[in-house]
Amino acid sequence: MSTSVTTFVPESHADTHHDHHHKQNFFFTYIWSVDHKMIGLQYLWTSFAFLLIGGLLAMGIRYQLAYPGVEVPLIGRLLPSTIATDGVILPGGYNMFFTMHATVMVFLVVMPLLIGGFGNYLIPLKIGAGDMAFPTLNAMSYWLYVVSGIIIVVSFFVPGGAAAGGWTAYAPLSSTAAYNQTQLGQTLWCLGLFINGLSSIAGATNYITTIINMRAPGMTMFRLPLSVWALFITAWLLLLAVPVLSAAAAMLCADLNLGTTFFAAQGGQPLLWQHLFWFFGHPEVYIMILPAMGLVSEILPVFARKPIFGYKAMVWAMVAIGFLGFIVWGHHMFVSGMNLTLAAAFSVSTMVIAVPSAIKTFNWMGTVWRGSIEFTTPMLFALAFVSMFVIGGLSGIFMASTPVDLFVHNSYFIVAHIHYVLFGGSLFGAFAAIYFWYPKMFGRMMSETLGKIHFFATFIFFNLTFFPMHNLGLGGMMRRIADPTVYDHLRALQPMNVFVSWAAFGMGLSTLIFLWNFIWSLRHGKPAGKNPWHSTTLEWTVPSPPGHGNFDHTPTVYNGPYEYSVPGMDKDYLPQDEKAPEGARLEVH
Amino acid sequence: MNKTLTKILWLSLLFVAACATDSLAGVRDSNLYWAPECVTVGGKRVDTLLNFIFYLTGAVFLLTQVVYIYYLVKYRKRPGSKAYYSHGNNKLELIWTAIPTAIFIGLVIYSNRLWSELHSEPPADSVKVDIVGYQFGWDMRYPGADGKLGKVDTKLYSMENKFALVPDDAAGADDFSSTELVIPVGKPVHIYLHSRDVIHSFYVPEFRLYQAAVPGRTIAWVWFQTTKTGNFQLACSQICGSGHYNMKAPIRVVTQEEFDKWQAGKNAAKAAESQSAAATASPVLVVQRNKAEETP
Repeated sequence: MSTSVTTFVPESHADTHHDHHHKQNFFFTYIWSVDHKMIGLQYLWTSFAFLLIGGLLAMGIRYQLAYPGVEVPLIGRLLPSTIATDGVILPGGYNMFFTMHATVMVFLVVMPLLIGGFGNYLIPLKIGAGDMAFPTLNAMSYWLYVVSGIIIVVSFFVPGGAAAGGWTAYAPLSSTAAYNQTQLGQTLWCLGLFINGLSSIAGATNYITTIINMRAPGMTMFRLPLSVWALFITAWLLLLAVPVLSAAAAMLCADLNLGTTFFAAQGGQPLLWQHLFWFFGHPEVYIMILPAMGLVSEILPVFARKPIFGYKAMVWAMVAIGFLGFIVWGHHMFVSGMNLTLAAAFSVSTMVIAVPSAIKTFNWMGTVWRGSIEFTTPMLFALAFVSMFVIGGLSGIFMASTPVDLFVHNSYFIVAHIHYVLFGGSLFGAFAAIYFWYPKMFGRMMSETLGKIHFFATFIFFNLTFFPMHNLGLGGMMRRIADPTVYDHLRALQPMNVFVSWAAFGMGLSTLIFLWNFIWSLRHGKPAGKNPWHSTTLEWTVPSPPGHGNFDHTPTVYNGPYEYSVPGMDKDYLPQDEKAPEGARLEVH
Repeated sequence: MNKTLTKILWLSLLFVAACATDSLAGVRDSNLYWAPECVTVGGKRVDTLLNFIFYLTGAVFLLTQVVYIYYLVKYRKRPGSKAYYSHGNNKLELIWTAIPTAIFIGLVIYSNRLWSELHSEPPADSVKVDIVGYQFGWDMRYPGADGKLGKVDTKLYSMENKFALVPDDAAGADDFSSTELVIPVGKPVHIYLHSRDVIHSFYVPEFRLYQAAVPGRTIAWVWFQTTKTGNFQLACSQICGSGHYNMKAPIRVVTQEEFDKWQAGKNAAKAAESQSAAATASPVLVVQRNKAEETP
């Protein structure tokens, strides 16, 4: 498969780095590259750009909630007239902010970063393949993502402004121009998601084919690193869930522009949208967390110097999450007007899906138990991931309980919950992964000092931002309101909103430390060598960064991915492609 | 470590500063870190469940985190320390699969029983109110002297027929409207939720109650019983457009006497209004108006 790749960049060999002599091939190397590693990096860089946009939108949201009606300093007067007047954010503009914040973060940051970035970069390297099964499709997948991102961001500047009905786009608000007054913006939102969906479907097809067909000799399914398992299951979820969103977006677009009434009150059914959206939307939650779980499961054993605890339990837990993820969507709709008995049924499946998540948590704890733990930056983020995921998982039990959902539904409690899972979970996992695989990607280490400052700043500000949101939600604060002070019962909570906003600004600034570290280390980081973390998986057996085709010759795999501290061995890790030395007492499982 | 301490200090200062900027302190002044006082019978049962889950999850959180942090400290890398080689333990896997499963089964039984009880048949003597959400406000409709709410056909919503009443249903003729929700304390209240345009939601945190109003449908299963008089606010908690943030209506929970008085006043006003409307609609007046329009 990799032969088609090398024809594009003929000078690349397995051991050469990307050096200046590639200049004549700049276009094929950096722009229309079909090398899975370059595509992975393209996803990474692009998702950083969108992370900045999504982050700025979050800052706008927090500014408005702390200081409603007060001119935004510095940039207020630069905002389009659909968003602000005289520098003061309009309620409609605020609605665009949170709608686009979520849309950007979900579709243009977390999915592309974890799945596009790490999926592309790591899958072939970890299974011992030269590239993806369909390299050109892979490149197309990336460029569709870029196009979808441009469409979504440009929608801010069209007449009427961007979509403003929430990222969940409940119909008939989203499907009726007279109600939403952002017909063009909402149409572009549909188009953007549709194209983004094509990108995901193409990517998923590629991952599944690659993982099934292109594993190196000896790399059985149960010798796959957990990150590959996680991405494999995620790809199935994408393949089955995303087409539903694409179809729903097309129907929404038709309702908006062609006069159809799929989701209209008369002649259609508004709840149909919610069923379609959440049939995609709940697997989507797992699409965003499973890769992070996989990456973290990869990092914990390395720095605990221990095999992952319960490898097979981890795999089956993810498989269970994958299946159950498709029958829990109704828990977003307990109080939507859906049949009450159906709500009770969805509450059962929702409680059931919490079990595999609990299993994973206990296994992570079992992994650090009796380890020899080294607190590097990637390890700190991975360890924090577990704790934050526990908080996000436990707060989910409140909503899963139907009567409690009567109270906390659509309140700030759920905003807290989703951010503990999506930021404390997915993004902490992504940060851990970036610090961990950066040496492989760029051949240099990121600064540990800056990394630790970034970790502690993010960890503290993250909790100061999102933990009080639980209290705001219990206090009765609705999500998606532009000005909480119009409500008597929320005015008393305003100091808490101000506090949360300042913590959020601190978190925004702490991300700049990370970006600085990322860029600075490209030139100034310590050279990494092949295997700076003494890890066992195949990507660490090739140079950093690996050349085209990845492996000089196809590796043969003899062991599972987590053979650390094997008794009877001199070194404390056994790479997957090395035969166990005489006297090593491997546990057969 | 010093950096962390400085940060914590700095943040505490920030918190104090944030509290000091409180120029808007309003109705609530105590217990700001928990839910507002609950004033419905069902809501108190929701609170009991919520507190139960809070203590349960709180205990699980503390237990797991204490163990986790203990492990992290105890098993940190030290000179000469070596990790224990283990791929896991199937007995442990079974235990920590079985225990959460048992807890979740218990919780789902508790939850769904309460869920069905909260949605039992509303008592026959309930006060009935039709609540209609629209961009961006609320209209309430109470049964008139006959005690019956007129039938609704959601296709009929219009500027003239803002409650979408079926014209040939006599029960609706004396229904009166209100822009505030007034309810007698202690009496069951059965609400019918409608929407004229997009999805809105009926949300009153002090009632522990949220229910979406879906255009084209009647949501008829929500009822509650208040335990205390007072003023509250009905909020729309489902994004419904640019004016969503301000889509609210006053709620007054009053004594039965006050309610009766308010209702009597409303009924009388409605009767007077109907009479004058009947007069306006009389053929004579119509003819006169037509004539007036014709004159240049």
